[in-house]
Amino acid sequence: MSSKSSRLHPHLEEASILISAKKPRRVLNNCAMKEEFEKYADYLNQLNDKRERLVKASRDVTINSKKVIFQVHRMTKHDKGEVLEKAEKDLAAVTDQHVSKLVKELQGTDFWKLRRAYSPGIQEYVEAAVLCKFCKNGTLLSLDEINKSLLQLGDPSVEPLQINILDYLLGVGDVTGELMRLATIRTSDGELEYAETICRFVRDIYRELTLLVPDMDDNSEMKKKMETMLQSVMKIENNCYKLRVRGSEFIPMRTLNCEVKVSIVTHGEDKNLDS
Amino acid sequence: MSTSTRALSSSSSSSPLSIQNQFGDFHKQLEDSGVIRERIQSLVREMERAIRLMQSSIILIHQSLPVSEVLEKSRFQIDVLRELYKRLCEILSECPGQYYRYHGDWKTETQTVVSLLAFLHWLETGNLLIHKEAEEKLGLDSSEFGLDIEDYLIGLCFMSNELPRYVVNQVISGDYDCPREALKFLKDLHSSFLVLNLRNDFLRRKFDGMKYDLKRLEEIDYDVNIRGLSAKKPKQDQDAEA
Repeated sequence: MSSKSSRLHPHLEEASILISAKKPRRVLNNCAMKEEFEKYADYLNQLNDKRERLVKASRDVTINSKKVIFQVHRMTKHDKGEVLEKAEKDLAAVTDQHVSKLVKELQGTDFWKLRRAYSPGIQEYVEAAVLCKFCKNGTLLSLDEINKSLLQLGDPSVEPLQINILDYLLGVGDVTGELMRLATIRTSDGELEYAETICRFVRDIYRELTLLVPDMDDNSEMKKKMETMLQSVMKIENNCYKLRVRGSEFIPMRTLNCEVKVSIVTHGEDKNLDS
Repeated sequence: MSTSTRALSSSSSSSPLSIQNQFGDFHKQLEDSGVIRERIQSLVREMERAIRLMQSSIILIHQSLPVSEVLEKSRFQIDVLRELYKRLCEILSECPGQYYRYHGDWKTETQTVVSLLAFLHWLETGNLLIHKEAEEKLGLDSSEFGLDIEDYLIGLCFMSNELPRYVVNQVISGDYDCPREALKFLKDLHSSFLVLNLRNDFLRRKFDGMKYDLKRLEEIDYDVNIRGLSAKKPKQDQDAEA
């Protein structure tokens, strides 16, 4: 042990020689101290390695979940089924290939200890899963449903990964932004009532979340999301408003001329797509 | 929840009732964890009190109160703290595996406790209080409720901040050997810290501060030695080195 540490830090060796010549009791003391610190060093090294692995895995989950979300946005009214099927398949691949990597790293107390390392990935994953489910069934994917799908991940001998409420809620909070985009894209594609469905869904979520935010563990992140969420809700509402008001002038054209309608709906909404 | 929103929801293709159920359930769970957090926080306030009392007795060391008396005075507070940690452990046994969910609420206090214990231990024995000993002093058991190693290490850095003042006051009261002893100890501690691969975090910043304590002790040691105040002359060091 001491030879190893003195190789790493030659000056330490000098120090111990210096002391050993003077006071033998001190030598033991210094060596014992360094031996102790070797243990702490092992602990910290392992912890940091694990954290790095989690950050990497989390980033992979994020990137690939984003791809799923983009896939969902690609759907048109004609190929909805196909596109969503592909999105679901991609999502399942994210679960198997990337989320699974988190399972064995997050045993015991590490689940909460290292939450900050993996939480962004999980939030994005929840977002993608919730979005897929909404587009398919029009319902909110519950935490129980997600967690059920994660049960068989990883080695059966280790405890399964179960997403906690906080990450789920943070993920759900992000979905509204995607739904806002989806509402805009869908209306441009001519599915006018879709925006209103989304609008109702997002309002429901927003209302329920406002009740929960004060009770959340560290709610500063969530509070920020709530503001963004409210803006998304209002953008969707404004979208619906324009459809009602201006769209009414073009009722005959809706069926006759798709092009005109599209230009009305998307006019002034482009910035929403970018945001 | 107003009737208008209900009506709106019921016409929705989503199933708001299931949303409401789920979120109602979340509300319950979050309230439960909120209660646990409040219990922990009130316990931590008691900890703060015990720490303050302990600090006020330890401060007397700077006014040349004998070490034995300081140890005696702080012993009672250590018992109080041990009891508080026992209660904290009991609260956390209600939510297994969630130690680190609430850790932020007591970590600052724990770091201070470690620094005080390590300081007292050094006064008593001249040695470093190792992690296991710190746990034992607080009646902690790693298998159930351990002392986080990072908290322990941060506590040691806080302890190092105490040394220069102590040494200055020892010199004032005529103890000229103290600077040498303290310097030797802090040099050992500092070089031991160099074994660690630190991240760019709080511990790293605290450790970076330790070198100023070391520098201060070196200056005091120099001042004392250059004037031949120390019983053991610095020449002996050079002889030993050669």
